[in-house]
Amino acid sequence: MIDTEAFMGALTLMATSAGSWGWIVPGLIVGLVFSAIPGISITMAMAIVLPMSLHMDFFSAVVFLTSVYTGAGFGGSVPAILMNIPGSPSSFATTFDGYAMSKKGEHNEALGYALFASTLCGIFGYVLLLFVVEPLAEIVLKIGPLEMFAVALWGMLLLGSLGSTYISRGLLAAAFGVLLGTVGMNTAGYIRGTMGIPSLLDGIQPVPAMIGLLAAGQLLSLASRDYILEAEGARKVSVRRILLGCWYTFKYPAVLIRGSIIGIVIGAVPGVGSSVGNLIAYAETKRTDKDSASFGKGNPKGVIAAESAVASAEGGSMATMLALGIPGGGATAILLAAFMMHNIVPGPTFIETQKDMVYAIILNNIVQAVVLLVVGIGFIYVAANVVRVRTRYVLPAILVIATLGTYAVNGSIAGPITFFVFACIGFALVRYEYPVAATVVGLLLGRMLETEFLRSYQLTGGNIVYVTEHPAAIAIVVLMVLSMAMTAWGKRKQLQQEAAEAEAMERLHQEELAAKAAHNHR
Amino acid sequence: MKTQLSRRNILKIAGGGAAIAALGMPSILRAQGAYPDRPINLVVPFATGGYNDRLARAFAPYLQAELGQPCVIVNQPGAGAQLGHTYALQQPMDGYTILCTSAAPYIPLNILLQNATYKAEDFHMINLPSRDYTLAATTSDSEITDMKQVIDRLKEDPTSLSLGVQPASADYANLILTLQKAGVPTDGLRLVTYDGGGPARNATAGGQVDVGFVGGEGFLPLKDKIKPLVMYADEAPEWWSDAPTLSDAGIETDYVEGSQRGWVVPTALTKEQPEIYAKIEAAVKAASEKPEAIEALKLQELATRWYGPEASNKAYMNNFTKMSTYVDLLK
Repeated sequence: MIDTEAFMGALTLMATSAGSWGWIVPGLIVGLVFSAIPGISITMAMAIVLPMSLHMDFFSAVVFLTSVYTGAGFGGSVPAILMNIPGSPSSFATTFDGYAMSKKGEHNEALGYALFASTLCGIFGYVLLLFVVEPLAEIVLKIGPLEMFAVALWGMLLLGSLGSTYISRGLLAAAFGVLLGTVGMNTAGYIRGTMGIPSLLDGIQPVPAMIGLLAAGQLLSLASRDYILEAEGARKVSVRRILLGCWYTFKYPAVLIRGSIIGIVIGAVPGVGSSVGNLIAYAETKRTDKDSASFGKGNPKGVIAAESAVASAEGGSMATMLALGIPGGGATAILLAAFMMHNIVPGPTFIETQKDMVYAIILNNIVQAVVLLVVGIGFIYVAANVVRVRTRYVLPAILVIATLGTYAVNGSIAGPITFFVFACIGFALVRYEYPVAATVVGLLLGRMLETEFLRSYQLTGGNIVYVTEHPAAIAIVVLMVLSMAMTAWGKRKQLQQEAAEAEAMERLHQEELAAKAAHNHR
Repeated sequence: MKTQLSRRNILKIAGGGAAIAALGMPSILRAQGAYPDRPINLVVPFATGGYNDRLARAFAPYLQAELGQPCVIVNQPGAGAQLGHTYALQQPMDGYTILCTSAAPYIPLNILLQNATYKAEDFHMINLPSRDYTLAATTSDSEITDMKQVIDRLKEDPTSLSLGVQPASADYANLILTLQKAGVPTDGLRLVTYDGGGPARNATAGGQVDVGFVGGEGFLPLKDKIKPLVMYADEAPEWWSDAPTLSDAGIETDYVEGSQRGWVVPTALTKEQPEIYAKIEAAVKAASEKPEAIEALKLQELATRWYGPEASNKAYMNNFTKMSTYVDLLK
């Protein structure tokens, strides 16, 4: 699996190009800072520094850009945890438990969990990549519309984990989100719901829409408070507690591994990226956990699951890019552009002829993940201080920065307008107690659901027999149903046990009463 | 406290101030004189990393050396390049906006299918060095060997093969034209639609679809994973010299050129500011013919060949006419 000769070559390459190591820390800081700003995605952060990298030699440029990528993967979770506003779609699932932990005054630990999960799974993802970079790429090409549709359905299962007072409103909100996700020109060339606005032809921009939906309710609820955290004692920033969070991450190896595997596989699929992986990893972790009721109320496993999928997805999408020359998402598209600008075309030929370079890139990313731990602790120490600033200063700043960020996505006014419109919709949803999160999930997955379903239909010509030729899709669905059935079974058993216990207690109580009565009678 | 200044005095001071400011900002006064005296925007109506973006970035150093002012790349992606095209037309006609775009197929598609507010004649081609052609291909270990076989099998049973294609594209027009000519009914086909060249190529290379019809150039990195069946061109392009052309494959059909990419300005500029336009044209020509530029771009598999405005506009209008003829196929 590993070509030893090329591996040694990679080590030599790493050692001889020590100068390029210096780009790791600046890259990480750029990634962390930019992606912590709501509205600026990983792709944006990398596009901003792309021109700079043109003046470096090839290896330095790749080190710099992948460092930005690594830093940005984690940075988005900082506003998600501290303010319930995800920096990018990939840290959406982090808000569920991350912000709940912050509200309990455990923001230090939550950031620690997120950082360590990011680091560990980033390393894990790349180590795995070292072994499977080629076979993984082959598998990725075999993933067709049917399999992708199954994955999208899996993502939608998350809806079941979003607690809502009214099931009907939750479903309605999700359906609304899916409909929003299908606005624009679909894969068959039909234009729907654009109201004649050219900017909507590509669909509703997910980042401004998501931030609008989530931020409106959140900012308004924050506006009524003096500080983000009510209790004065909780507004502390402590390195000790951040490190404690880091350390406790080790207690959940199963969550880490499951999150990583989901992240790598889904991250490797072109066009999906980490924004779906974190949803699936969160939903799976919650559903299979014994104590699933505590998720969404500040269970650290929720933070770990979401972050592990985001961090390992980086490795997955790098595999697709290096081995096939296909960008898995926006960030790898920028990396690909950087490769091309240095006259290097990734793909099967590149990986065959320059294996040492591929290994060197992977090894360097492992180093980056380790350095992220140190830089990240410093960054969250500074960033966490936002809880000590009065909301009257924080809120206007967030609004302005988010507006600028949404403008920057495409450099057009369409972004801020989307942001504003969806802030109004988000406010209305919150006001009438519809779960906003369900709408966001629908919005993020709606397009994928529709596209892949339509393609499956086109491919089969409506003939269901075709499905049997795709064991992978069947396997995904069977796994999904099995895991749901297991959960339901486990829940039922648990309920029965609880009922039996309650009955026993009741009987004991009755017996006691009877005994007492008999005693009194006597 | 009452101020001592009368209105007249304030006016005097303001007037003097304006005069000083005017003296201090000679650049504004000189603006009508020598073009160019400030950076020039190269508008790319696509996101970073695509062909046009790479072309613009690689060509910019040579173009700015000719123009004597820095060139700034401005990405204006969205709506199949329509947003960027509209943006370029809305800028002042002063020669500080030059488009680097895929004139074909995007301008015709914007107009014919997306109800764009501009006309084909609103754009003037300076030079369209990059030409791409539809390539019909299968995955490398497919049992299909040539295009004739594909047509025979479809003739027998139109649902026997799945065909991957982008809807409303030159590729789609070429696919339908071929099948119509061969007498294959086009209603019952298993057409699988993709909203981008990349996904359609991945599906072809991975064997998701039996035959894919997509722009050929993007297949280059995946060359070992596919088997080319036919390239819709009269002669194979230099970047894929052994690709089977229509005559090699023994296919007789009319076809639409896949992509024509390069340097474009609004036609209004050529009419309103002919001197400025002449400077731009000369600079693009000089940069395109510079040996260092040709060598640097060739390394990145980017085209620099100088066809000139006359040939480029002719090719562009030809493509537009053909697309208009076959527009019903695209809907």
